[in-house]
Amino acid sequence: MDQLEYLKSVLDQHPELQYSITQSNWSTDFLRFYHSETNYNISKDNTTIGAEIYKGKKSFNFAIENPERGKIDAALRDALEVIDKLPEDPDFVDLESDMTLAEPRVVKNNIEAIPLDLKTKILSNISAAASMYDFDIFGTFICNYQSFRLINSNGLDKSSQSSPIYLEVKAVHNKSQVTVLETFGGEDFGYFNERAFTESLMQKIKYCSSEIVDVEPGYYDVILAPRCLAEFIQYLSHGMSARVLDQHSSWFEGKLNKQVFPAHISIVDDPADPRMIRADYGSDGHIYRRLPLVEKGVFRAFLCNNYYAHKTGLPKNGNTASCLKIEPGDKTLEEMIGGIKRGLYISSLHYMNFINPRETSLTGLTRDGTFLIENGRITKVVNNLRFTERIERILNNVVGLEDHCATIPFSGNYESFDIETVKAPHAHVRDFNVTSSTKTI
Amino acid sequence: MEQLIKQTLNKLAQPDISFADVRITRTDNEWLYFMNGFMRSYGSSMDSTAIGIRVLINGCWGFAGSRDLSAAAIDRLVRTAVRNARQGGSFIRNRVEFPALPATRAEYHHQPEIDPFKMPKEEKTACLRGLAEAIKPQGKIVHSMVMGQFMRQEKYYANSEGTYSHTSYYNTLPVMEVVASDGGQIQSRTWPGHMSAGRGGFELFKQQKFAENTDRIMKEAIDLLNAPTIEDDRADIIIGNGHLALQLHESVGHATEADRIFGMEISYAGKTFIKPEMLGSFQYGSPLVNIYSDSTDPKGLGYHPVDDEGVPGQKVDIIKDGILVNQQTSRQIAKLLGLRPSSNMKASFADDFPLVRMTNFCLAPGSGSLEELIASTEHGYLLDFTKTWSIDDNRNNFQFTTEIGYRIDGGKITGIVKEPTYFGITKDFWNSCDAVCGPEEWSYHSTFHCGKGEPGQVMQLSHGVAPARFKNINVSVKI
Repeated sequence: MDQLEYLKSVLDQHPELQYSITQSNWSTDFLRFYHSETNYNISKDNTTIGAEIYKGKKSFNFAIENPERGKIDAALRDALEVIDKLPEDPDFVDLESDMTLAEPRVVKNNIEAIPLDLKTKILSNISAAASMYDFDIFGTFICNYQSFRLINSNGLDKSSQSSPIYLEVKAVHNKSQVTVLETFGGEDFGYFNERAFTESLMQKIKYCSSEIVDVEPGYYDVILAPRCLAEFIQYLSHGMSARVLDQHSSWFEGKLNKQVFPAHISIVDDPADPRMIRADYGSDGHIYRRLPLVEKGVFRAFLCNNYYAHKTGLPKNGNTASCLKIEPGDKTLEEMIGGIKRGLYISSLHYMNFINPRETSLTGLTRDGTFLIENGRITKVVNNLRFTERIERILNNVVGLEDHCATIPFSGNYESFDIETVKAPHAHVRDFNVTSSTKTI
Repeated sequence: MEQLIKQTLNKLAQPDISFADVRITRTDNEWLYFMNGFMRSYGSSMDSTAIGIRVLINGCWGFAGSRDLSAAAIDRLVRTAVRNARQGGSFIRNRVEFPALPATRAEYHHQPEIDPFKMPKEEKTACLRGLAEAIKPQGKIVHSMVMGQFMRQEKYYANSEGTYSHTSYYNTLPVMEVVASDGGQIQSRTWPGHMSAGRGGFELFKQQKFAENTDRIMKEAIDLLNAPTIEDDRADIIIGNGHLALQLHESVGHATEADRIFGMEISYAGKTFIKPEMLGSFQYGSPLVNIYSDSTDPKGLGYHPVDDEGVPGQKVDIIKDGILVNQQTSRQIAKLLGLRPSSNMKASFADDFPLVRMTNFCLAPGSGSLEELIASTEHGYLLDFTKTWSIDDNRNNFQFTTEIGYRIDGGKITGIVKEPTYFGITKDFWNSCDAVCGPEEWSYHSTFHCGKGEPGQVMQLSHGVAPARFKNINVSVKI
């Protein structure tokens, strides 16, 4: 009997309790490189059991790393001793009861499929190409493997596996420090084309040979690279959460089924795209299905788990915006750039934070390649810029979307090892509010 | 554990391993969270062990970590760390130079006034519940939360030079927040602000005067709904301790982490505008600005007798009379800069790779009280309690918004402003500092959540600050 089954068997002896218990096994092989050489290689693994135990509306939860029976018994004893003495949460009704299982799928362990010598070989090749233009490469090459099982007292028993890959290469010019970025992410390394990846990076490097300039604060026509649009949508999705709605901090409060953006803006949370890192279940075990969030500019759904469905009355979906896709438009990138007399191409964003989430106002900076567009073509490198904007305003100022999407990976931080992908096209945005220059690349 | 760590180290006595260290941590965590007056979560994670093995082979680092301390797991980690170093060496041009240090031995065991892990759970619950009920939604207060997180960590460190250290400490993160709404906009206030953690146990709730400030934050959140915004383009600002800690953290602390000079953090946290040649001559701030890194003060979260690569704790001037004089370094980076290592290599848990990290990173006090500083300000704003922060990847261009601003006219506070936002360039900003309050206003402000590195780590650290005034700052950001 494994440790999760053991915990279940003990909890089942207490019919007065409800419970939701999980076991996650997680490992990573992580190569971090700088100046076109290894910084460090890390291998890590961890097994964690998590438990939420309810007695009526009272609850206690615990996590056990590297679980063994002695630790489980101690944690349970602790929980059972205290649970009667705790105050109630009047909003708790019941645990997840959706029994729907995701389509079974075979998940290859990419830690084994992409060994360290293959990683260093690929990086050596990319480094050699970049060095011809006096650029060094910096970044990370990560492979994770994780399995997850969730059991609750309603009879739910679900398992899933995933093995995300994340390759981020920043090429930095040895003198000017101008930086450009290329990434790959997903679960299927068969989609990785080393030649295309390197060519795309080289194309960006070639843009960097031009003069570096500052631009004045003001409102600009900008082309947002897919990474930028993806990140703005990730931030926007914060306000689509029923939890945030319940806290009166959501811009979407009172806007369900209303036109909030132009008709060419559609956003969907779609776990089924094989090119992306997929999600089988939400954190409480509800199946993760395709969920239109914005359809032709109309806001369609809050992200709502079991707890907040009971609390707010909103329909439950279990989605967490982990598989966001912004639908493409009908323009080529060249057409969009070609239509701009004076504007900016923004490759990547840095350190965004909400000023007021209810207004979607935030500030942040550009990073890894900001370029001046003059008379329909990229002409100069621009020092990084600060913007202060509202995301809803940015989306309402989108006047063009590229005719296809790129898959953009984002790696977790703050002790999160999650890797997510977002699909997004380039976007042409009018009147983007640049508030200052950093004077640095 | 001492035996286990030394046995593990013995397994690393291999001819091609020029340096090795092993760390073991055992961590307990407990957290209570009340939302809108009701308990939403009470949980714990006890006896969480971790081990990390770091080796240097032919100038390349390899590392392996796990939460499993079994003999079989440790054997596997030894093999993996060695493999990672050897294979990583095939993609390397400059071998790591790692000057030797003498062996040292250290023991330190901190005890809080009120041990949160020995205190009955119902007593902790009752205390936080009282606070939660005091700030429960009513009228224009639409949301509230009270949270306490308690952490106890025991750490063992040993390296191939013979250094051994065994330490333990308690840290606590208490915070409460209210959100007010008039049906349209929202405004929020926290207590005691963004960096509310501290070294200690449950006594922090009392020391930080939570019960005494529930009415204040509710009133201020509601008053902010009708408060004006700053109309000036530029103004003199006094920054209170509840925000200055973060200004120091972002624009000096991270900027002077020397791994950034060499691009080791470009892929995530970023680089720095500082260049090696600036040391000893760069006018970072006005002559009133003195900033130091101090891992020798046990009152801060950054205290350690020995860092995570065997360097004894130190107090090091970083900015002296406004001039940049040193950096926060590791042994590897100190060698590259021709400096002595500053004892700043830290990892969150034993299975994390150590990085250059702030410890107790402090602005030295000047003189005078906050009251006197306000009285000497003809027109300006006292800004306090961090709301939003952002800085570029060179640590040069920042923008902050605080929860509240207090307007100063004729040396007196005359009202409040909402969402006061200011921005600047690091060097210009610190050179505009014309006053730092005295020791009586100086205090530590600490966080559990300084993110850096890949895989991502969050570090617990402290900043000592006293309120300071900055002249003619750009406050013209309109959203």
